[in-house]
Amino acid sequence: MSPMKLCVPVHAGERLCSTEDCIPGTGTYLRHGCIFASLAGYVLRKNEGEELPVISVVRETEAQLLPDVGAIVTCKVMSINPRFAKVHILYVGSTPLKDRFRGTIRREDVRATEKDKVETYKSFRPGDIVLAKVISLGDVQSNYLLTTAENELGVVVAHSEAGAQMVPISWCEHAERHSVARTHAKEFRKVARVQPEYLQA
Amino acid sequence: MPVDTKRIRGPEESQSPLLFLSPGKVPEASSRQGVRGNGDARPVFARCGLISQAKGSAYLEAGNTKIICSVYGPREAERKDETDMKTGRLVCDFRLAPFSCLKRGAWIQGSEERDLSQTLQESLQPGVCLHRYPRSQIEVNVMVLENDGSILAHAVTCASMALADGGIEMYDVVLGCTLGQSGSTCLVDPSYSEEYGSWQEGYGEDQGCVTVALLPNLNQVSGLTADGEMREDILSDAVRSCMDGCHKLYPVLQQALMRAVKKKAPPPAK
Repeated sequence: MSPMKLCVPVHAGERLCSTEDCIPGTGTYLRHGCIFASLAGYVLRKNEGEELPVISVVRETEAQLLPDVGAIVTCKVMSINPRFAKVHILYVGSTPLKDRFRGTIRREDVRATEKDKVETYKSFRPGDIVLAKVISLGDVQSNYLLTTAENELGVVVAHSEAGAQMVPISWCEHAERHSVARTHAKEFRKVARVQPEYLQA
Repeated sequence: MPVDTKRIRGPEESQSPLLFLSPGKVPEASSRQGVRGNGDARPVFARCGLISQAKGSAYLEAGNTKIICSVYGPREAERKDETDMKTGRLVCDFRLAPFSCLKRGAWIQGSEERDLSQTLQESLQPGVCLHRYPRSQIEVNVMVLENDGSILAHAVTCASMALADGGIEMYDVVLGCTLGQSGSTCLVDPSYSEEYGSWQEGYGEDQGCVTVALLPNLNQVSGLTADGEMREDILSDAVRSCMDGCHKLYPVLQQALMRAVKKKAPPPAK
Protein backbone atom coordinates (compact mmCIF):
# COMPACT_ATOMS: atom_id res chain seq x y z
CA MET A 1 0.00 0.00 0.00
CA SER A 2 1.54 3.27 -1.00
CA PRO A 3 2.37 5.34 2.08
CA MET A 4 -0.04 8.16 2.85
CA LYS A 5 0.62 11.05 5.12
CA LEU A 6 -1.79 12.26 7.73
CA CYS A 7 -3.99 15.07 6.75
CA VAL A 8 -5.12 18.47 7.71
CA PRO A 9 -8.64 19.75 7.16
CA VAL A 10 -8.82 22.43 4.53
CA HIS A 11 -11.54 24.36 2.85
CA ALA A 12 -12.10 25.48 -0.69
CA GLY A 13 -9.70 28.06 -2.00
CA GLU A 14 -6.88 27.33 0.36
CA ARG A 15 -3.51 27.16 -1.24
CA LEU A 16 -1.96 23.73 -0.73
CA CYS A 17 1.40 23.81 -2.43
CA SER A 18 3.06 24.64 -5.72
CA THR A 19 3.13 22.40 -8.77
CA GLU A 20 6.80 21.68 -8.23
CA ASP A 21 6.06 19.76 -5.07
CA CYS A 22 3.01 17.71 -5.98
CA ILE A 23 0.67 16.62 -8.73
CA PRO A 24 -2.95 17.75 -8.32
CA GLY A 25 -5.47 14.99 -7.63
CA THR A 26 -9.21 15.00 -7.02
CA GLY A 27 -10.68 17.93 -5.14
CA THR A 28 -7.98 20.35 -6.25
CA TYR A 29 -7.36 22.77 -9.06
CA LEU A 30 -4.39 24.50 -10.61
CA ARG A 31 -3.97 28.20 -10.80
CA HIS A 32 -0.91 30.37 -11.43
CA GLY A 33 1.40 27.44 -10.85
CA CYS A 34 -0.05 26.61 -7.44
CA ILE A 35 -2.42 23.92 -6.32
CA PHE A 36 -5.54 25.05 -4.47
CA ALA A 37 -8.17 22.97 -2.72
CA SER A 38 -11.64 22.96 -4.22
CA LEU A 39 -13.36 20.94 -1.50
CA ALA A 40 -13.70 21.26 2.24
CA GLY A 41 -12.13 18.09 3.53
CA TYR A 42 -8.88 16.40 4.44
CA VAL A 43 -5.67 16.69 2.49
CA LEU A 44 -4.14 13.41 1.42
CA ARG A 45 -0.66 13.15 0.12
CA LYS A 46 0.05 9.88 -1.60
CA ASN A 47 3.31 8.61 -2.98
CA GLU A 48 2.28 6.73 -6.05
CA GLY A 49 5.75 5.73 -7.00
CA GLU A 50 6.12 8.42 -9.62
CA GLU A 51 8.40 11.35 -9.14
CA LEU A 52 6.00 13.62 -7.32
CA PRO A 53 3.37 12.73 -4.71
CA VAL A 54 -0.26 13.17 -5.63
CA ILE A 55 -2.14 15.61 -3.43
CA SER A 56 -5.91 15.37 -3.19
CA VAL A 57 -8.70 16.53 -0.93
CA VAL A 58 -11.22 13.96 0.22
CA ARG A 59 -14.42 14.08 2.17
CA GLU A 60 -15.63 11.04 4.03
CA THR A 61 -18.85 10.82 2.05
CA GLU A 62 -17.66 9.58 -1.30
CA ALA A 63 -17.50 12.33 -3.89
CA GLN A 64 -20.60 12.77 -5.93
CA LEU A 65 -20.01 10.76 -9.05
CA LEU A 66 -21.70 11.82 -12.20
CA PRO A 67 -22.10 9.36 -15.05
CA ASP A 68 -19.18 10.00 -17.33
CA VAL A 69 -18.49 8.75 -20.85
CA GLY A 70 -17.24 5.18 -20.71
CA ALA A 71 -18.52 4.46 -17.21
CA ILE A 72 -20.40 1.24 -16.47
CA VAL A 73 -23.72 2.11 -14.88
CA THR A 74 -26.51 0.08 -13.35
CA CYS A 75 -29.95 1.21 -14.38
CA LYS A 76 -33.57 0.24 -14.20
CA VAL A 77 -35.77 0.13 -17.26
CA MET A 78 -38.72 2.49 -16.96
CA SER A 79 -40.41 2.24 -20.32
CA ILE A 80 -39.82 0.67 -23.69
CA ASN A 81 -40.63 1.78 -27.18
CA PRO A 82 -39.95 0.15 -30.55
CA ARG A 83 -37.10 2.60 -31.03
CA PHE A 84 -35.48 2.86 -27.60
CA ALA A 85 -35.77 2.06 -23.93
CA LYS A 86 -35.83 4.70 -21.22
CA VAL A 87 -33.96 3.93 -18.02
CA HIS A 88 -33.17 5.49 -14.68
CA ILE A 89 -29.50 5.37 -13.76
CA LEU A 90 -29.17 4.13 -10.20
CA TYR A 91 -25.48 3.30 -9.67
CA VAL A 92 -22.30 4.53 -11.29
CA GLY A 93 -19.78 1.75 -10.93
CA SER A 94 -20.47 0.64 -7.38
CA THR A 95 -21.48 4.02 -5.98
CA PRO A 96 -25.21 4.61 -5.54
CA LEU A 97 -26.51 7.91 -6.80
CA LYS A 98 -28.60 10.08 -4.53
CA ASP A 99 -30.66 11.47 -7.38
CA ARG A 100 -31.74 9.55 -10.42
CA PHE A 101 -30.45 10.47 -13.79
CA ARG A 102 -32.33 9.50 -16.89
CA GLY A 103 -30.81 7.56 -19.76
CA THR A 104 -31.81 6.13 -23.11
CA ILE A 105 -30.75 2.88 -24.79
CA ARG A 106 -31.40 3.13 -28.48
CA ARG A 107 -32.46 0.18 -30.54
CA GLU A 108 -29.20 0.12 -32.47
CA ASP A 109 -27.15 0.14 -29.25
CA VAL A 110 -28.68 -2.96 -27.73
CA ARG A 111 -26.54 -5.50 -29.55
CA ALA A 112 -23.29 -5.43 -31.43
CA THR A 113 -24.43 -7.66 -34.28
CA GLU A 114 -27.62 -7.65 -36.37
CA LYS A 115 -28.56 -4.23 -35.10
CA ASP A 116 -31.51 -3.81 -37.41
CA LYS A 117 -33.20 -7.01 -36.30
CA VAL A 118 -33.38 -5.99 -32.67
CA GLU A 119 -36.76 -5.81 -31.03
CA THR A 120 -36.74 -3.89 -27.78
CA TYR A 121 -39.64 -5.99 -26.54
CA LYS A 122 -37.42 -9.03 -26.73
CA SER A 123 -34.43 -7.31 -25.14
CA PHE A 124 -35.78 -5.39 -22.17
CA ARG A 125 -38.93 -5.11 -20.18
CA PRO A 126 -39.92 -2.41 -17.69
CA GLY A 127 -38.54 -3.23 -14.27
CA ASP A 128 -35.38 -4.98 -15.46
CA ILE A 129 -32.04 -4.10 -13.94
CA VAL A 130 -29.53 -3.53 -16.71
CA LEU A 131 -25.77 -3.02 -16.83
CA ALA A 132 -24.89 -0.49 -19.50
CA LYS A 133 -22.09 1.79 -20.57
CA VAL A 134 -22.39 5.51 -21.15
CA ILE A 135 -21.49 6.46 -24.70
CA SER A 136 -22.47 10.08 -24.67
CA LEU A 137 -23.74 12.77 -22.38
CA GLY A 138 -26.37 13.54 -24.96
CA ASP A 139 -27.33 16.89 -26.36
CA VAL A 140 -29.90 19.38 -25.19
CA GLN A 141 -32.97 17.31 -25.91
CA SER A 142 -31.91 13.80 -25.04
CA ASN A 143 -30.77 12.11 -21.86
CA TYR A 144 -27.59 10.15 -21.30
CA LEU A 145 -27.04 7.71 -24.16
CA LEU A 146 -26.21 4.19 -23.05
CA THR A 147 -25.24 1.01 -24.81
CA THR A 148 -25.45 -2.68 -23.99
CA ALA A 149 -23.61 -3.85 -27.10
CA GLU A 150 -21.10 -6.00 -25.29
CA ASN A 151 -21.10 -9.43 -23.77
CA GLU A 152 -20.80 -8.19 -20.22
CA LEU A 153 -23.59 -5.67 -20.60
CA GLY A 154 -27.30 -6.30 -20.58
CA VAL A 155 -30.00 -7.53 -18.25
CA VAL A 156 -28.85 -8.92 -14.92
CA VAL A 157 -32.07 -9.14 -12.92
CA ALA A 158 -35.47 -9.66 -14.47
CA HIS A 159 -38.92 -10.73 -13.47
CA SER A 160 -41.27 -12.69 -15.67
CA GLU A 161 -44.74 -11.58 -16.64
CA ALA A 162 -46.07 -13.69 -13.80
CA GLY A 163 -43.86 -11.76 -11.39
CA ALA A 164 -41.33 -14.42 -10.43
CA GLN A 165 -37.56 -14.04 -10.53
CA MET A 166 -35.90 -15.34 -13.69
CA VAL A 167 -32.47 -16.85 -14.23
CA PRO A 168 -30.42 -16.73 -17.42
CA ILE A 169 -30.24 -19.94 -19.38
CA SER A 170 -28.33 -18.86 -22.40
CA TRP A 171 -26.41 -15.87 -23.52
CA CYS A 172 -25.56 -16.65 -27.06
CA GLU A 173 -26.11 -13.79 -29.37
CA HIS A 174 -29.26 -14.77 -31.12
CA ALA A 175 -31.72 -16.19 -28.65
CA GLU A 176 -31.20 -14.83 -25.20
CA ARG A 177 -33.53 -16.37 -22.75
CA HIS A 178 -34.52 -16.43 -19.17
CA SER A 179 -36.57 -19.12 -17.50
CA VAL A 180 -38.68 -18.99 -14.41
CA ALA A 181 -37.94 -21.39 -11.59
CA ARG A 182 -41.45 -22.50 -11.01
CA THR A 183 -43.39 -22.08 -14.19
CA HIS A 184 -40.40 -22.67 -16.47
CA ALA A 185 -41.66 -20.04 -18.88
CA LYS A 186 -39.01 -18.67 -21.16
CA GLU A 187 -38.75 -15.04 -22.08
CA PHE A 188 -36.35 -13.17 -24.25
CA ARG A 189 -33.89 -10.68 -22.88
CA LYS A 190 -30.51 -9.31 -23.87
CA VAL A 191 -28.64 -11.15 -21.14
CA ALA A 192 -25.38 -9.96 -19.59
CA ARG A 193 -22.53 -12.40 -19.23
CA VAL A 194 -21.60 -11.57 -15.66
CA GLN A 195 -18.04 -12.48 -14.71
CA PRO A 196 -17.98 -15.56 -12.45
CA GLU A 197 -16.25 -13.73 -9.63
CA TYR A 198 -19.17 -11.34 -9.29
CA LEU A 199 -21.73 -14.07 -8.98
CA GLN A 200 -22.45 -15.12 -5.43
CA ALA A 201 -22.13 -18.78 -4.64
CA MET B 1 -49.81 41.69 -7.65
CA PRO B 2 -50.25 38.24 -6.13
CA VAL B 3 -53.04 38.24 -3.59
CA ASP B 4 -52.93 36.04 -0.51
CA THR B 5 -56.39 34.50 -0.51
CA LYS B 6 -55.90 32.35 2.55
CA ARG B 7 -55.46 35.18 4.97
CA ILE B 8 -58.55 36.58 6.64
CA ARG B 9 -58.58 40.32 6.35
CA GLY B 10 -60.35 42.47 8.88
CA PRO B 11 -63.63 44.22 8.12
CA GLU B 12 -63.62 46.94 5.49
CA GLU B 13 -63.28 49.84 7.91
CA SER B 14 -60.24 48.43 9.71
CA GLN B 15 -56.76 49.87 9.43
CA SER B 16 -53.41 48.33 10.11
CA PRO B 17 -52.14 49.00 13.65
CA LEU B 18 -48.74 49.84 12.18
CA LEU B 19 -50.14 53.16 11.00
CA PHE B 20 -50.55 54.25 14.58
CA LEU B 21 -47.03 53.40 15.66
CA SER B 22 -45.14 56.50 16.60
CA PRO B 23 -41.96 56.68 14.54
CA GLY B 24 -39.17 55.60 16.82
CA LYS B 25 -36.39 57.96 17.73
CA VAL B 26 -34.41 58.37 14.54
CA PRO B 27 -30.77 57.93 15.52
CA GLU B 28 -28.83 60.88 14.20
CA ALA B 29 -26.88 59.85 11.15
CA SER B 30 -23.67 60.02 13.09
CA SER B 31 -21.29 57.48 14.44
CA ARG B 32 -22.60 54.58 16.36
CA GLN B 33 -22.58 54.53 20.10
CA GLY B 34 -21.50 51.62 22.10
CA VAL B 35 -19.02 48.89 21.50
CA ARG B 36 -19.35 48.78 17.77
CA GLY B 37 -17.50 51.41 15.80
CA ASN B 38 -18.28 52.73 12.35
CA GLY B 39 -15.97 50.33 10.58
CA ASP B 40 -16.73 47.22 12.59
CA ALA B 41 -18.94 44.46 11.39
CA ARG B 42 -21.20 42.63 13.78
CA PRO B 43 -19.83 39.43 15.33
CA VAL B 44 -20.93 36.45 13.30
CA PHE B 45 -22.08 33.03 14.45
CA ALA B 46 -21.87 30.38 11.75
CA ARG B 47 -22.55 26.65 11.77
CA CYS B 48 -22.80 24.06 9.03
CA GLY B 49 -24.64 20.84 8.63
CA LEU B 50 -27.86 21.40 10.49
CA ILE B 51 -30.40 20.31 7.87
CA SER B 52 -30.10 16.57 7.63
CA GLN B 53 -32.11 16.09 4.45
CA ALA B 54 -30.14 18.57 2.40
CA LYS B 55 -26.79 17.84 0.83
CA GLY B 56 -25.24 20.82 2.58
CA SER B 57 -26.58 23.50 4.86
CA ALA B 58 -25.45 26.48 6.90
CA TYR B 59 -26.84 28.89 9.47
CA LEU B 60 -25.52 32.36 10.00
CA GLU B 61 -26.31 34.99 12.61
CA ALA B 62 -24.96 38.51 12.54
CA GLY B 63 -26.43 40.61 15.30
CA ASN B 64 -30.13 39.95 14.87
CA THR B 65 -29.98 38.95 11.22
CA LYS B 66 -30.56 35.21 10.96
CA ILE B 67 -30.16 33.37 7.71
CA ILE B 68 -30.37 29.70 6.89
CA CYS B 69 -29.32 28.10 3.63
CA SER B 70 -29.64 24.62 2.16
CA VAL B 71 -27.99 23.15 -0.91
CA TYR B 72 -29.27 20.27 -3.03
CA GLY B 73 -27.48 18.64 -5.88
CA PRO B 74 -26.04 17.97 -8.30
CA ARG B 75 -29.40 16.94 -9.71
CA GLU B 76 -30.44 16.29 -13.23
CA ALA B 77 -31.22 19.62 -14.83
CA GLU B 78 -34.96 20.04 -15.25
CA ARG B 79 -35.25 22.47 -18.08
CA LYS B 80 -33.27 21.56 -21.12
CA ASP B 81 -33.59 24.75 -23.04
CA GLU B 82 -29.95 25.74 -22.87
CA THR B 83 -27.62 25.01 -25.71
CA ASP B 84 -24.52 24.37 -23.67
CA MET B 85 -24.83 21.26 -21.54
CA LYS B 86 -21.15 20.99 -20.78
CA THR B 87 -21.38 22.94 -17.56
CA GLY B 88 -23.77 22.72 -14.72
CA ARG B 89 -26.25 25.31 -13.59
CA LEU B 90 -26.64 27.09 -10.30
CA VAL B 91 -30.22 27.81 -9.30
CA CYS B 92 -30.66 30.20 -6.39
CA ASP B 93 -33.81 30.87 -4.44
CA PHE B 94 -33.84 33.73 -1.97
CA ARG B 95 -36.80 33.95 0.36
CA LEU B 96 -37.69 36.25 3.18
CA ALA B 97 -39.81 34.49 5.74
CA PRO B 98 -43.12 36.32 6.31
CA PHE B 99 -42.17 36.91 9.95
CA SER B 100 -38.73 38.30 9.16
CA CYS B 101 -39.58 41.97 8.76
CA LEU B 102 -41.62 44.36 10.83
CA LYS B 103 -44.42 44.23 8.31
CA ARG B 104 -45.71 40.78 7.49
CA GLY B 105 -44.55 39.63 4.08
CA ALA B 106 -46.24 37.29 1.64
CA TRP B 107 -45.30 33.67 1.08
CA ILE B 108 -45.25 34.25 -2.64
CA GLN B 109 -41.94 35.51 -3.89
CA GLY B 110 -42.07 39.21 -4.57
CA SER B 111 -40.09 41.14 -7.11
CA GLU B 112 -37.49 42.23 -4.60
CA GLU B 113 -36.80 38.63 -3.65
CA ARG B 114 -36.48 37.64 -7.29
CA ASP B 115 -34.01 40.45 -7.77
CA LEU B 116 -31.99 39.32 -4.76
CA SER B 117 -32.04 35.72 -6.03
CA GLN B 118 -30.60 36.85 -9.33
CA THR B 119 -27.88 38.85 -7.60
CA LEU B 120 -27.08 35.94 -5.34
CA GLN B 121 -26.74 33.64 -8.31
CA GLU B 122 -24.45 36.05 -10.12
CA SER B 123 -22.26 36.40 -7.05
CA LEU B 124 -21.96 32.69 -6.35
CA GLN B 125 -21.47 31.49 -9.90
CA PRO B 126 -17.82 32.54 -10.32
CA GLY B 127 -16.94 30.64 -7.17
CA VAL B 128 -18.36 27.25 -8.07
CA CYS B 129 -16.57 24.79 -10.40
CA LEU B 130 -19.60 24.22 -12.60
CA HIS B 131 -17.60 22.58 -15.37
CA ARG B 132 -17.18 19.54 -13.14
CA TYR B 133 -20.94 18.94 -13.08
CA PRO B 134 -22.13 18.73 -16.70
CA ARG B 135 -25.84 18.39 -17.33
CA SER B 136 -26.63 18.94 -13.66
CA GLN B 137 -28.01 21.69 -11.56
CA ILE B 138 -27.19 22.69 -8.03
CA GLU B 139 -30.00 24.27 -6.03
CA VAL B 140 -29.32 26.83 -3.34
CA ASN B 141 -32.23 27.85 -1.13
CA VAL B 142 -31.72 30.78 1.20
CA MET B 143 -34.30 31.71 3.82
CA VAL B 144 -34.00 34.84 5.92
CA LEU B 145 -35.50 34.21 9.33
CA GLU B 146 -35.00 37.68 10.71
CA ASN B 147 -34.08 40.73 8.69
CA ASP B 148 -31.88 43.12 10.61
CA GLY B 149 -29.99 44.67 7.73
CA SER B 150 -27.39 43.60 5.15
CA ILE B 151 -29.22 40.39 4.27
CA LEU B 152 -27.76 40.02 0.80
CA ALA B 153 -24.17 40.06 2.01
CA HIS B 154 -24.79 37.57 4.78
CA ALA B 155 -26.86 35.42 2.43
CA VAL B 156 -23.92 35.19 0.04
CA THR B 157 -21.64 34.13 2.88
CA CYS B 158 -24.16 31.62 4.20
CA ALA B 159 -24.78 30.15 0.76
CA SER B 160 -21.10 29.59 0.05
CA MET B 161 -20.68 27.90 3.44
CA ALA B 162 -23.58 25.61 2.60
CA LEU B 163 -22.04 24.83 -0.79
CA ALA B 164 -18.73 23.95 0.84
CA ASP B 165 -20.54 21.84 3.43
CA GLY B 166 -22.35 19.99 0.67
CA GLY B 167 -19.13 18.97 -1.00
CA ILE B 168 -19.65 21.06 -4.13
CA GLU B 169 -16.31 21.87 -5.71
CA MET B 170 -15.52 25.56 -5.52
CA TYR B 171 -12.65 27.74 -6.51
CA ASP B 172 -13.06 29.75 -3.35
CA VAL B 173 -15.67 30.68 -0.77
CA VAL B 174 -17.60 33.84 -1.55
CA LEU B 175 -17.95 36.38 1.24
CA GLY B 176 -20.25 39.37 1.34
CA CYS B 177 -20.13 42.68 3.13
CA THR B 178 -22.36 45.71 3.09
CA LEU B 179 -21.64 49.34 3.73
CA GLY B 180 -24.35 51.91 4.30
CA GLN B 181 -23.92 55.60 3.73
CA SER B 182 -26.08 58.19 5.34
CA GLY B 183 -25.01 61.77 4.79
CA SER B 184 -21.31 61.73 5.31
CA THR B 185 -21.04 58.78 7.66
CA CYS B 186 -20.34 55.29 6.45
CA LEU B 187 -21.31 52.29 8.50
CA VAL B 188 -20.05 48.81 7.80
CA ASP B 189 -22.61 46.02 8.17
CA PRO B 190 -25.57 48.26 8.94
CA SER B 191 -28.50 46.96 10.89
CA TYR B 192 -32.03 47.45 9.63
CA SER B 193 -32.61 50.77 11.35
CA GLU B 194 -29.21 52.07 10.20
CA GLU B 195 -29.81 50.95 6.64
CA TYR B 196 -33.23 52.44 6.24
CA GLY B 197 -33.52 54.88 9.11
CA SER B 198 -37.13 55.42 9.92
CA TRP B 199 -38.06 55.23 6.26
CA GLN B 200 -39.61 51.89 5.69
CA GLU B 201 -40.49 52.60 2.10
CA GLY B 202 -37.09 53.29 0.69
CA TYR B 203 -34.03 55.40 0.91
CA GLY B 204 -34.10 59.04 1.73
CA GLU B 205 -31.96 61.69 0.20
CA ASP B 206 -28.25 61.07 0.25
CA GLN B 207 -28.71 57.61 1.66
CA GLY B 208 -27.48 54.46 0.06
CA CYS B 209 -25.72 51.23 0.55
CA VAL B 210 -23.31 49.08 -1.39
CA THR B 211 -22.84 45.32 -1.14
CA VAL B 212 -19.68 43.57 -2.31
CA ALA B 213 -19.18 39.83 -2.82
CA LEU B 214 -15.54 38.82 -2.71
CA LEU B 215 -13.46 35.67 -3.24
CA PRO B 216 -10.78 36.26 -0.58
CA ASN B 217 -8.00 33.93 -1.66
CA LEU B 218 -8.18 34.92 -5.28
CA ASN B 219 -9.00 38.52 -4.35
CA GLN B 220 -11.70 38.78 -6.98
CA VAL B 221 -14.95 40.65 -6.67
CA SER B 222 -17.80 38.54 -7.94
CA GLY B 223 -20.75 40.77 -7.08
CA LEU B 224 -21.28 44.47 -6.59
CA THR B 225 -24.67 45.98 -5.85
CA ALA B 226 -25.43 49.56 -4.94
CA ASP B 227 -28.74 50.97 -3.85
CA GLY B 228 -30.00 54.42 -3.17
CA GLU B 229 -27.88 57.53 -3.59
CA MET B 230 -24.18 57.31 -3.02
CA ARG B 231 -21.59 59.97 -3.46
CA GLU B 232 -18.84 59.23 -5.96
CA ASP B 233 -15.97 60.07 -3.66
CA ILE B 234 -17.30 57.76 -1.03
CA LEU B 235 -18.13 54.94 -3.42
CA SER B 236 -14.63 53.71 -4.22
CA ASP B 237 -13.62 53.92 -0.56
CA ALA B 238 -16.80 52.08 0.29
CA VAL B 239 -15.91 49.18 -1.98
CA ARG B 240 -12.48 48.98 -0.42
CA SER B 241 -13.93 49.01 3.09
CA CYS B 242 -16.30 46.22 2.13
CA MET B 243 -13.40 44.15 0.82
CA ASP B 244 -11.58 44.68 4.12
CA GLY B 245 -14.72 43.65 5.95
CA CYS B 246 -14.81 40.44 3.92
CA HIS B 247 -11.21 39.65 4.75
CA LYS B 248 -11.96 40.12 8.41
CA LEU B 249 -14.89 37.77 8.15
CA TYR B 250 -12.83 35.05 6.51
CA PRO B 251 -11.29 33.47 9.65
CA VAL B 252 -14.74 32.96 11.17
CA LEU B 253 -15.81 31.08 8.09
CA GLN B 254 -12.67 29.00 8.10
CA GLN B 255 -13.30 27.92 11.64
CA ALA B 256 -16.90 27.03 10.97
CA LEU B 257 -15.96 24.91 7.95
CA MET B 258 -13.13 23.14 9.78
CA ARG B 259 -15.50 22.33 12.58
CA ALA B 260 -18.05 20.94 10.15
CA VAL B 261 -15.44 18.79 8.38
CA LYS B 262 -14.16 17.40 11.68
CA LYS B 263 -17.65 16.72 12.90
CA LYS B 264 -18.67 14.85 9.79
CA ALA B 265 -15.85 12.40 9.88
CA PRO B 266 -12.65 11.82 11.79
CA PRO B 267 -9.47 12.14 9.78
CA PRO B 268 -8.85 9.09 7.61
CA ALA B 269 -6.43 6.62 9.13
CA LYS B 270 -2.88 6.34 7.87
